[in-house]
Amino acid sequence: MMEWMPLILFVLVCLVLMMGFPVAFSLAGTSLIVAGFGYMMGTFDGAFLSALPNRIFGILSNQILIAVPLFVFMGIMLEKSRIAERLLHNMALLFGPLRGGLGISVILVGMLMAASTGIIGATVVTMGLISLPAMLKNGYSPSLAAGNICATGTLGQIIPPSTALIILGDVLSSAYQQAQLSMGIFSPDTVSVADLFVGALIPGLMLVVFYMLYIGFTAWLKPNAAPAVIDRPQIDRHFAKQLLAGLLPPLALILAVLGSILSGIATPTEAAAVGATGATILALLYGQLDLTRLKEVADGTLKVTSMIFMIFIGAAIFSLVFRGFGGDEQVQALFEAMPGGKVGAMLIVMLVIFLLGFILDFIEITFVVVPIVAPILLAMGIDPVWLGIMIAINLQTSFLTPPFGFALFYLRGVAPKELPTSAIYRGVAPFIAIQVGMLILLSLVPELATWLPDKLYG
Amino acid sequence: MPLSMHSFVSGLQAFTAFVGKTCRWFSLAMVIVTFLVVLLRYVFDYSSIAMQETVMYLHASLFMFGAAYTWQQQGHVRVDVLYHKWPAALQQKIDLFGTLFLLLPTCLFLLYVSWDYVMIAWAIGEKSHEAGGLPFVYLLKSLILVLPILLLVQATTNVLAFLFNIQLAPVSSNPQEGTNS
Repeated sequence: MMEWMPLILFVLVCLVLMMGFPVAFSLAGTSLIVAGFGYMMGTFDGAFLSALPNRIFGILSNQILIAVPLFVFMGIMLEKSRIAERLLHNMALLFGPLRGGLGISVILVGMLMAASTGIIGATVVTMGLISLPAMLKNGYSPSLAAGNICATGTLGQIIPPSTALIILGDVLSSAYQQAQLSMGIFSPDTVSVADLFVGALIPGLMLVVFYMLYIGFTAWLKPNAAPAVIDRPQIDRHFAKQLLAGLLPPLALILAVLGSILSGIATPTEAAAVGATGATILALLYGQLDLTRLKEVADGTLKVTSMIFMIFIGAAIFSLVFRGFGGDEQVQALFEAMPGGKVGAMLIVMLVIFLLGFILDFIEITFVVVPIVAPILLAMGIDPVWLGIMIAINLQTSFLTPPFGFALFYLRGVAPKELPTSAIYRGVAPFIAIQVGMLILLSLVPELATWLPDKLYG
Repeated sequence: MPLSMHSFVSGLQAFTAFVGKTCRWFSLAMVIVTFLVVLLRYVFDYSSIAMQETVMYLHASLFMFGAAYTWQQQGHVRVDVLYHKWPAALQQKIDLFGTLFLLLPTCLFLLYVSWDYVMIAWAIGEKSHEAGGLPFVYLLKSLILVLPILLLVQATTNVLAFLFNIQLAPVSSNPQEGTNS
């Protein structure tokens, strides 16, 4: 019985989650009930849970995650004040006259917008509402348009400075310390959020380039699938001025935030505060900020932040109980028994995370699964930055994969009924192929993720 | 349906909404104070531990006070694969079940396990370990009790509304759905 408890806990949590009660409360409640049962049977030591208040205090005083609400504030401000919409509009004016140009502007704006929020739901919904009608009106093939938008929406996790990477960076950094302590290294190396940001840069940009190549190639091969925009603007001085006024400020803001983190001038928290202030000033300059909108931004920030940190607390309870039942030793034994050592362990982790990506999103998997598997994988000698990027791209792929991918649900929610679900599935297939190709490439050439952090930070 | 019960439940609902709508401004305050910290450091080469800790207190209060309001506004993510396909009556029953058997034990356990931890912090008037830090660590730790208490208020609201079949007026919020699943 005892040795089955961690597995029973895990399966039970998955089943309860499927019911649809909020994830944070389901994680906490199910874990505590199983712990109580174990306590009565004498297989669970209550001392494990007495560490809980201190764990929660650790979450409250976590310095790195302070960047999360600040980035969320910036993202919601950019979205609510229609700065993102304007950006897309201007990009479309710029690239629209090219074949496939509209699709490419969606990718570019999605990359920038996603970078600031890192929340796939928000990106897919916004892009779906703004660009899907425009693409369909201009004669884009529905499946190409749908695939384009879904794939772009998931870019948000991998392009820094995404909220997802901040959280993953924080979790990986404590996992890395734990791994090194377990190997008897008492002055451990560290891995920071900035390391992960830098590591994500090359693979993330490669994905963007591959996406654009695919759109360009399709437009060249099948001009009818991605035609040029019909009503071209008059190219004159006025147009150029309008274009620059709409494009430059948000671009400058996002690049400044990213640049100050990557160059090491500012911590992610500082850069996020500057970004949030900048976004607020931009909204003011564009005449988009009033008290109502400010309330909306504050309200949205409170809700997204509460959602994230409640999951963190729920996951902390789950992991204490999982550990109390000896779950982490079992996972370790399982990994060590895997044929192929490191490679075998990595493969199974990737597979489990891919499947979990169908029911849980990035934040939940980062808080629940990564703390269990990462210390063991890292102790086996896997590079933390590479592991982080592999997890991020893997989850991105999972969110795109029918029938359960999150991005597909979001697009379905805002797409017109005439767009058949099968067209969405067909549309994402080539993008999934790109993702899988990227994962394989990254496995064969880990330097794609590790070279730049090494070069910059040594 | 007794009228007094109706106003009691609406009152609870309004209380949680009031807490949330007040605390949402902590997010703006965080932006402003952190921006000032950056400005002071890079422009005037001045750094204040007290200001940095203020940001931490605002950050922690934002979600510890805000979690119950977020629940009221349906802002906590659900695994939506099946839930959104189910009829409203079944969804209501799942919410009731979850509230009673998942959320309630969690809140009670949190209160039980954290009580002494927080009381000790109060008894010694725990201060920041940093020189120049804020002397209010006991208040920060008290947030661990605030979270379950506010969640219990919202849980009471939901259960009573279900039992007495009270339709709660949708508290006006914003259609902000920046959440996944």
